[in-house]
Amino acid sequence: MKSIRRTQRIISLIIILFIAGMAFLVLKINHEADFYMMNSDTHQLGFVYDRKGDVLFDGTGQGSYPDNYFLDIGNLIGDDKGQMENTLVARNLQKLNNYSFSDGLKKQGGKAAIYTTLNHEANRAVFNSFGYMEGCVSAYNYKTGEILVCTSLPSLDVTKGYEGLENFKSGTLLSKNMYGTVPGSTQKVSTVISAVEIMGSAQLFSKSYTCNGKYTNRTGNDIDCHNIYGHGTQNIQEAFENSCNPFFAQLIEDDDMPLEKVKKQYEKMGYVLNGGKPTYIDINGIQCETASTTLENSYEFRTQWGCIGQGDTLVSPIQLMMWQSAIANGTGKMTMPYLIDHVTDLNGHEKEKAKTHYSEKLFSESTASTVKQIMLTNGSDRYSYLISGYKVGVKSGTAQVDEGAKENSLLVGFVDDPSFPIAFCILIEDKDSGYLTTEQVAQVLLDNLKNNY
Amino acid sequence: MESLDTILCIAAAAALDVCIFVLLLTAYRERRSSKKTWHELSHDMVLTEQNVTYELGCDEVLIGRHASADIRLPDLSVSRYHAMLTVSNGIWTIHDMGSKSGLFVNGSMVREAVLHENDLITLGNRRLIFRKRRSERVR
Amino acid sequence: MYANPVAYVFSCIFVLIAHIAMLLNVYFNGNYTEVRDVAVLGAAVLILDISYFIVILLFKQTSYVLDFLLILVLNMSFIFQSCFGKVGFDVKHLITCIVCLASCKAGYILCRNHKLLQDKKPYIYGGVIFVMLIVFVFTSPEDMWIRIGSFAIQPSEFAKPLFILACATSIADQQKKHKILTFSVVYENLALLALTAIVCLIQVKSHDYGSLPTFLSIFAAGFLLRICYPKAKFSKKKLIGVIALVIVFVLIGLKYAPEYVQHRLHVDIWSDKTGDGYQQSQALIAIAKGGWFGVGPGKGFLSNVFAFENDIVFATISEEWGLIYALMAIFAILVMTSVPLVNPARSYYHGTISACVCAALIVQMALNIFGSCNLIPFTGVTIPFISAGGSSLMVSGFMVGMLMAAQSPSFKEPKHKKKEADVPTWRWQE
Repeated sequence: MKSIRRTQRIISLIIILFIAGMAFLVLKINHEADFYMMNSDTHQLGFVYDRKGDVLFDGTGQGSYPDNYFLDIGNLIGDDKGQMENTLVARNLQKLNNYSFSDGLKKQGGKAAIYTTLNHEANRAVFNSFGYMEGCVSAYNYKTGEILVCTSLPSLDVTKGYEGLENFKSGTLLSKNMYGTVPGSTQKVSTVISAVEIMGSAQLFSKSYTCNGKYTNRTGNDIDCHNIYGHGTQNIQEAFENSCNPFFAQLIEDDDMPLEKVKKQYEKMGYVLNGGKPTYIDINGIQCETASTTLENSYEFRTQWGCIGQGDTLVSPIQLMMWQSAIANGTGKMTMPYLIDHVTDLNGHEKEKAKTHYSEKLFSESTASTVKQIMLTNGSDRYSYLISGYKVGVKSGTAQVDEGAKENSLLVGFVDDPSFPIAFCILIEDKDSGYLTTEQVAQVLLDNLKNNY
Repeated sequence: MESLDTILCIAAAAALDVCIFVLLLTAYRERRSSKKTWHELSHDMVLTEQNVTYELGCDEVLIGRHASADIRLPDLSVSRYHAMLTVSNGIWTIHDMGSKSGLFVNGSMVREAVLHENDLITLGNRRLIFRKRRSERVR
Repeated sequence: MYANPVAYVFSCIFVLIAHIAMLLNVYFNGNYTEVRDVAVLGAAVLILDISYFIVILLFKQTSYVLDFLLILVLNMSFIFQSCFGKVGFDVKHLITCIVCLASCKAGYILCRNHKLLQDKKPYIYGGVIFVMLIVFVFTSPEDMWIRIGSFAIQPSEFAKPLFILACATSIADQQKKHKILTFSVVYENLALLALTAIVCLIQVKSHDYGSLPTFLSIFAAGFLLRICYPKAKFSKKKLIGVIALVIVFVLIGLKYAPEYVQHRLHVDIWSDKTGDGYQQSQALIAIAKGGWFGVGPGKGFLSNVFAFENDIVFATISEEWGLIYALMAIFAILVMTSVPLVNPARSYYHGTISACVCAALIVQMALNIFGSCNLIPFTGVTIPFISAGGSSLMVSGFMVGMLMAAQSPSFKEPKHKKKEADVPTWRWQE
């Protein structure tokens, strides 16, 4: 009967809604059980390996390793103690736990592991090359995005615990690659990219400015050159190689470089301008700062100084390295870096195999090839004898920090070789405290990567 | 040992499953028997109109033109809610629901009437016969 | 009246098998010190089973399937409750289970003849208002219980079955229309609307936000079945409009809800693991620990968390018996509410009762399970039959009794009416 059927229809509607809710709940629990489990007080962590199966982190805490075996990646890989939040293990505890909803928590012999893309041997070699100096190095394959080397000094061996934490040097507990630093003249790469993107390469190459060692800009401030005698009249290629500050100040002031367009291009490349909300790149859960600078008025010191890479400008080494990939690829798209190649669950089944991702287009292909050529020419003119055996495109930089008290040395670049596609960024802090140069580190880095590639 | 636990758990769940299944089967069997009980209660009466048979499946059967009526007679002479059949103690009664054209049982207009076998019910232009269900075998 | 003896024998056997399988699981996996504990528990379960099978023989019903389902679920819940933390013997829960069975039979006897109830509509309305008055006078927002000696009862629970009876209606009642201006109105619908408003207001006043959705869902089911018989067509468009309006009202209500309600809505359980999110986060962790097959009866840790045996009982069962088993238990209750789909009621009055009971039971389950699993705000509602709690079990039993009545109805006029001659005469006049 129709009326009775109506009551039945309401009953079935309620039941169907409830069953749908239950199905959603079961799916949700099944999906999020790992997360719930991480909030309980019992974990059973597995291993983190490098690309060759070398242990980078031992969650069981039972293995024995040589002294300082984990020193070079200590502040990148981290541990589960909660001291270092922005590290691979802390951010991916869930993947490392020997737990799955269907199998429960496996006490013994679980095979949950993270296989990273790092090259421990090269990483350690680079780390050791620093000696007593401090800084950081990152390098990755700009075709695939695999981070091969990512080390930061000072570092710590997590197996030794955190005793005497208050006596640790500042910066020990974080990977400097992920945090903003003053880029110095490496910022000129961004400025050249903007200039080519705005004017086009022909017009840019037709421009030439004179440097007398010092340039007084239109608002009356002085931009000093590191060469007090000046570089004379130069075009963009020569100025780039000379890293001439007055040239770039004049380039910013040029009427063919309207500030609005510069700002637009900078924002496209990921800069946060004039104190905006900071943004982050996500590398397998690790937060990596991007870049920030001040661009207010083309004729003012602060803006010009920002475009030269001093003052308010802060860029993280990873970000510098990623821009190199956009140049080296010739596409204007950055290859997004990643640390985790794949993950295995507690039964040893491989999952979450990494894929290469690219960013939005930052600049055109022609800009990429122009800038690539400028950097390669710089590399062959100035660095062929310093970094031997590789066709590199580079830009060096010297950044004044602590109000000019210290100078950091930077080197960003890429190897122009389809079979060895490496982009890198090297930072040596307080370069005057020792005799290490970025070129030496680059040589060590590339040699070790080549040997282990 | 761990596998035994799991097996026992699955066994318990399976037993519960089978039990629920058996109870559902029982429910389906009861559906038949309760239909029979209902036929006894309602004396197995139906309404027929020419060659259409309307079941009387519950104790209140609404007849009318409206889509929500249990027995729908799409005819403008029939009111939206024309009449209602009710059963109690095995006796069927028909009530007029305030129809425009009136309710006639065996030709006489009524407000309420006890129905007997083979009564002729007239609603507007439609005529229905109230009679016992013919068993399939006879036909 | 025992129409399907073979089916009933098989049902009995399989109910017993299901319980024995559970007891075996307890015996082999359980956390107990002496085998005697398990033996006592098993004996109690089986004795209750068999004695109930004998008792229901005394009732001449058309349908027994709900009885079997009820005893299956109740004994299951008795085993669950006895095993939480450690295998034992939960006498209190056993007594409440027996009370539940008794109230189920009471509900059946009371509701099987709907004509009887229909005559007593005013008393039912009075009853609801009386219970609500008790709630209003004797309980406070801090304490929803009335304590008499060592017994504590939750009066608002008892309003539920009465409210269901108030919502139930027959087609004949819906046709008693009166004209107010241009609308033809059924007075009873207005009365019900007023009653619902009173109930809701008192629930809000006493901060019982757990029962409120239950009452509203009963009302919604009942009201939907009432408005199907208006003279003016209640089109789908209007229906959707009304639903949209209700949603808007609810949203506005939530927006301007008092502080503590807002707080409940927005609590992030994982960032407040030791405070407000404690029960829920522990419940979810327990479910994760249990996995599909559980850690074994009595071996869970959730039995140390407050309200493990009623508010977060789903998680406790999930941990000890496994998510599959917990889902099966819920499924058994769902089957109970879906029996009216297999075997339809024979009167509209009973049909509306079934729909309302179904709404009440399922909404309570949904509130409890989804609440404890952090899908919706956490409210202290019980899962019918599974959670411990006398009032809740008694009322749930009564509601199943109503469903039973719909399955085995009797159609008899109240005795005071004159019986008419039952002599069919052959007449044919045209």
